[in-house]
Amino acid sequence: MSRDTRVDAPDDPDEIFVDGADWEQVIDAVTDETLTVNMGPQHPSTHGVLRLVLELDGEVVRRLNSVIGYLHTGIEKSTEYRTWVQGTTFVTRMDYLSPFFNETAYSLGVERLLGIEAPERAQAVRVILMELNRIASHFVWLATGGMELGSTTVMTYGFRDREHILDLFESQSGVRMNHAYIRPGGLAADVTDDFEERVRALIKLLPERFAHYEELLLRNPIWNDRLRGVGVLNQERAMALGVTGPLARAAGLPWDLRRAQPYCGYEQYDFDVVTEDASDSFARFLVRLEEMRQSLRIVEQALDTLPGGPVMVDDKRIAWPSQQELGPDGIGNSPEYIRHIMGESMESLINHFKIVTQGYPVPAGQVYSAVESPRGELGYAMTSIGTNKPYRVHVRDPSFVNLQAADEMSRGHQVADVIAIVASIDPVMGGVDR
Amino acid sequence: MSGELQLPSPERGTRRPTLAFDAVVQRVTTHFPDVTHDVDRGELTFHADPQQLVGLLTFCRDDDELACTLLADLAGVHWPAGDHVIERQTSTTGWPEHRVSRDVGVIEVAYVLRSVDRNLVFRIVVATDDTDPQLPSVTGVFETADFHEREVYDFFGVRFAGHPNLNRILMPDDWVGHPHRKDYPLGGVDIDYKNDKFIPSPERRSLREVVE
Repeated sequence: MSRDTRVDAPDDPDEIFVDGADWEQVIDAVTDETLTVNMGPQHPSTHGVLRLVLELDGEVVRRLNSVIGYLHTGIEKSTEYRTWVQGTTFVTRMDYLSPFFNETAYSLGVERLLGIEAPERAQAVRVILMELNRIASHFVWLATGGMELGSTTVMTYGFRDREHILDLFESQSGVRMNHAYIRPGGLAADVTDDFEERVRALIKLLPERFAHYEELLLRNPIWNDRLRGVGVLNQERAMALGVTGPLARAAGLPWDLRRAQPYCGYEQYDFDVVTEDASDSFARFLVRLEEMRQSLRIVEQALDTLPGGPVMVDDKRIAWPSQQELGPDGIGNSPEYIRHIMGESMESLINHFKIVTQGYPVPAGQVYSAVESPRGELGYAMTSIGTNKPYRVHVRDPSFVNLQAADEMSRGHQVADVIAIVASIDPVMGGVDR
Repeated sequence: MSGELQLPSPERGTRRPTLAFDAVVQRVTTHFPDVTHDVDRGELTFHADPQQLVGLLTFCRDDDELACTLLADLAGVHWPAGDHVIERQTSTTGWPEHRVSRDVGVIEVAYVLRSVDRNLVFRIVVATDDTDPQLPSVTGVFETADFHEREVYDFFGVRFAGHPNLNRILMPDDWVGHPHRKDYPLGGVDIDYKNDKFIPSPERRSLREVVE
């Protein structure tokens, strides 16, 4: 039908029909033009609701502009209207692939404002959960990155293996993601009795899976062709653009906050800061693959030396009063504690209500607490004015900052490489837009 | 610092021993005598004048002793004018009362600087009047400030002079107001319900015309 109408209307001599025969004319007509193409925000290969506006010269990218904000949920603002403890429930939803890092960075900030430190057992459990979370996050990066490059096999493998880790998270916190398990002052509840057994099973299982990925991808010609030499970002440019994490380490910069400014007792554990020199997308793949192994090393050490004792600070002005206990139907209130507040101590009941409904005041001040998340430096700049709610919480999300490098990394590459480059940055839009 | 970026060693993550805060303060104040500082909870903060900002950040980046090659964070806080006293029962909490009293509302912008080489982190804070907030852009010193400054503009309305593309970044382009300011009214975001009538909150009516 459409063909007929075009044949019937030959009046305009400049009109071009793209049906193959007049292709020469078509390319003659567009030689000295750049084309602006919109990619996203709804596009399966743009890694979430990321919108890219590309300026193309033929197939070659001249400029890339990332348009973000489609997932902005005002979490920073929301925390200003909730108590300090409730804040963990919000921040865990920012970078949804690394919830434990958000919770820890936030809790460390609140703890610094309060001038307290979580008990050793809580710190060690945090480390175990964070490192497993790093592996889970890298699995998703591998899965989505693989899918974006056309390998659905990697996608199914990545999500399959991540599920083992999420099962552990669920057994400890009750939810697969967005746990709100790490709280200012320690943890919401102690780990379960089978925690060690479950983690040991993961320590046994995961190295096999890492080897699988290596076998599948390391010498895979497509994987190599798509990633090698693509999206090069050297050290100096990485620093200027504020890029941290695996991207900076893939450029040979051994900068890791776990090593440089240890928190949660990372100085006790023996691990390598993985670096590569190639600075391209393939180097980032290698760095992340090796990082997963190093994370498992840390998990093993932390589990071997897991201290006993409480998982929440002893201070009744700060600690969440409710005591949880694992019953036959999941985590619930401890009957002994209920008996105590309902039958024995009126003051305990009052304290319980005050802490739960009003929270606790946090001394005025300003802190910046940062942890090494799977994507780089995750920083919380928090301001308190001495009330029970934060005055301002600002999050320096590594995805947000690293995304700025996409322009420079993409220039001169073809459109298909942009997909590989964005995948190698591994931005999580929940963290970018907050 | 001139030429190549100095590489930290793989063993420690830093190449040279870290500097004590006193040494940092001395280094900065010899070149910028007007800059004041405080140390709170193990964090060093410099308070500078907006006019000095670009010079100070350039100094911290290029100085061989400090070598702050990374601008880690840039964020704003709004302190409106007025007398706010937060009293706590010092007998039960032991924490002192906190008093904030300002004649002029300000927006404080904090620049968190990191030295990879020295394993050092400190903060530079500048304040600008909240009725007409303006600051020089530091995108010429640290390119990473691009998104950060757009975010501060979006949330606080601070106009960064010299920024290449100062647009809203997280809020929609046609958004009215700057939502992280403390005088920004809450509630009443209009949503077009097909068979319902939207009624904005009283505070909100001043911001946006009520559309039939």
